[in-house]
Amino acid sequence: MVMKKWSIFSIINYTLLALFAFCTLYPFIYILAYSLSDGMEAMKHPIYFFPKGFTFQNYIEIFQDTKFLQAYKITILRTVIGTALHVFLCALFAYALTKKTLPGRSFFTFFIFIPTLFGGGMIPTFVLYRELGLIDSFWVYVIPFLYNFFNIIVLRTFFQQLPTSLEESAKIDGCGDFKIFIKIILPLSAPVLATIGLFIGVFHWNDWFTGTYFVTSKNLLPVQTLLNDLLSQSLAQANAAKSASETGTSLGLQTIAQTTPESLRMATLMVATLPILCVYPFLQKYFVKGVMIGSVKG
Amino acid sequence: MPQQTEINIKSYPNKVPKIKKKSLWKRIWEHRVFYFFLLPGIIWFVIFSYIPMYGITIAFKDFNFVQGILGSPWAGLKYFHQFFNYYQSKEIIRNTIVISLMKLLIGFPMPIILALLLNEIRISKFKKTVQTISYLPHFISWVVVVTLLQRLLTPYGGPVNELIAAMGLDRIQFLGNINYFYQLIISSDIWKGVGWGAIIYLAAISGVDTQLYEAAKMDGANRFRQMWHVTLPSIRGVMVILFILACGGIMSAGYEQLLLMNTPATTSIGNVLDVYVIKAGLEQGRFSYATAVGLFQGIIGLILIIAANQISKKVNETSLW
Repeated sequence: MVMKKWSIFSIINYTLLALFAFCTLYPFIYILAYSLSDGMEAMKHPIYFFPKGFTFQNYIEIFQDTKFLQAYKITILRTVIGTALHVFLCALFAYALTKKTLPGRSFFTFFIFIPTLFGGGMIPTFVLYRELGLIDSFWVYVIPFLYNFFNIIVLRTFFQQLPTSLEESAKIDGCGDFKIFIKIILPLSAPVLATIGLFIGVFHWNDWFTGTYFVTSKNLLPVQTLLNDLLSQSLAQANAAKSASETGTSLGLQTIAQTTPESLRMATLMVATLPILCVYPFLQKYFVKGVMIGSVKG
Repeated sequence: MPQQTEINIKSYPNKVPKIKKKSLWKRIWEHRVFYFFLLPGIIWFVIFSYIPMYGITIAFKDFNFVQGILGSPWAGLKYFHQFFNYYQSKEIIRNTIVISLMKLLIGFPMPIILALLLNEIRISKFKKTVQTISYLPHFISWVVVVTLLQRLLTPYGGPVNELIAAMGLDRIQFLGNINYFYQLIISSDIWKGVGWGAIIYLAAISGVDTQLYEAAKMDGANRFRQMWHVTLPSIRGVMVILFILACGGIMSAGYEQLLLMNTPATTSIGNVLDVYVIKAGLEQGRFSYATAVGLFQGIIGLILIIAANQISKKVNETSLW
C-alpha cells in the first residue's frame, strides 16, 4: 500500500519542495551561525551550519553600541506609531465606504484608486516632502504612509461581511456611528486588523529607503538604513573579509571571543530580522485571506 | 430559483424611489458623520497623491526651490530632449526592459509551478511547513537580502565559494561581476517573491470543484493530465489578471533591488530608469531632468497596462476594469 502511494512523481515532488525549503532557510541558518561565532574564527574557517567558537559577544557588543540602540529605538517607534495610525485611519475610511446609502461613495473609491495607476514619481514627492518640512523629521516615516488603497479595500471587504443586525441594535440603543465603529466594528475585525497591521508593520520595519534619502540626522536613522550603510561600505571595499581582518583586531577587547565588523554586521542583521520572523507564522491564516481579497478586488 | 430572482427584480424598483424622495442635501446631511470619517483620508490623498501629480509640471520647468513649483520658469520639452540626447539613455531604457522582461518571463511562472507542486502534496504537515517557510523572504527587506547574498557568495570565506574551492575549482567573485549579474538579479527576485506569489494561486486551486478531478480520473487522466486539463484552466483568470498587472511594471525593474545590487562594474547592463531617476534627482539635484525621465517611465507604464488590459479583454474576456 505504502509503496504504491509513493510514485516517482511524488518522490521527485517531495524532494524538490524540501530542497526549495532548504534554499529558503539556509541563508538564515548561516547568518545565525556566523553571528554566534567568534569573529576571528569565522574568518579563518568557513562556516556552514554551526558557529565556530560559539559566543554571544557579537550580540553583547551591538547592544552596547549607542548608535545601534538609537536606530533600533527609531525603528520600533516608527513601526508602532506608523502601524497604529495606518490601521485606525484606513479602517475608519473603509467603514465609511461600506455605507451603501452614502452619496458619492463610488466617487471616493475611484478617487483613491486613480493614484494606484499613475503617480507623481520620486522627485515631485521629494519636493513635496521638502515643502511640508518632512525632510529630516521623524514624521517623514509616518505621515506619507498613513493610507493605502489596497489595505482600505481589504478592510472594506471584511466590514461588508459583518452582520448589520448588531449595528442596527446598537443604533436603537442610541449609539453614535463613531461609537459603533469603535465598540462593535473594530472588536469584530481582529483578523483583518492583524493582517493590515502585519502588512504595514513589516513595511515600516523594513523601510530603509526613506531613512537613506530623506533623513540626514544620524540619530533619526532606522536600523535598516544602518544596515544599508554597512552593506555599501562592505561592497565598496574590494574585499570585505580582508579589510575586516585588518580592522577587526583593532577593536581589541579583552574578552575571550573577538568580534569583527563582519560578525557584528551579521548580529545586527539577525536582530533586525528576527522580530518579523517570530511574528509572521502566527498571522499566517489571516494574511493569506488578506492577500486574496487584496488581489482579487484590487 | 427563477422565482427568487423575480422577487428581487420586483422589489428593487420599489426601494429606489423611496430613497430618492429625500433630497440629495438631506441625504448628505444624514451621512455627515461618515464624511468626517473620510475627511482625513481625502486630505491625505490630495496632498500625498494628487499634489505630486501636479508636481510633474516640474518636468516642463526650470525648477528651483526658491521660486517653487508655481514660480519656476517654463522650459518646455528641454529636459526630455536632454534625456533622449544623453548618450546612455538608450542603454538605460534597454537595461530596464531587459531586466523586467526577464523577471516577467522567468519569474511569472514560478509561483504557479510552486502552487501546482504544493497542491500535489498529500501530507498536510509537510505542505504547511513548506508554505510557511516560503513566505519568509517576503518579510525581509532588500537590504537584508543583498547582505545575505553578499555574505553567502563572497570569495573570502563564503560557503558557496568554499564549496567551489573544495571541488577543486577557482573561487568566483559573483557580486559586481558582469557575467553573473542578471542571474543574481533574477534568482534573488524569485527567491524573495515566489512563496508570496503562490498564495493567490493556491487559493484559486483550492476553489476548484473536486468533481472535475473525479470526472477527469474516470476519463483515465493521470495526475499530470489532471493538472494540465483541470487545475491550470481553473486558475487562468487569476493568471491573466496578475499578468496584466505585471505588464504595467515593465518600465520599472525594481528600484530597491537594483539600487543595492548595481555596482560600477555592472553599470553598463544594470543601470535602469528607476535608479537613474533617484541618482539624477536625489543625489545630483537635477530635479526637472529626473522628473522628466520619471514621467516618461510612468507614461509608458500606464500605456502598457492599458494595452495589456484591452488585449486581454478581447482575447480572454478577463480584465481589470
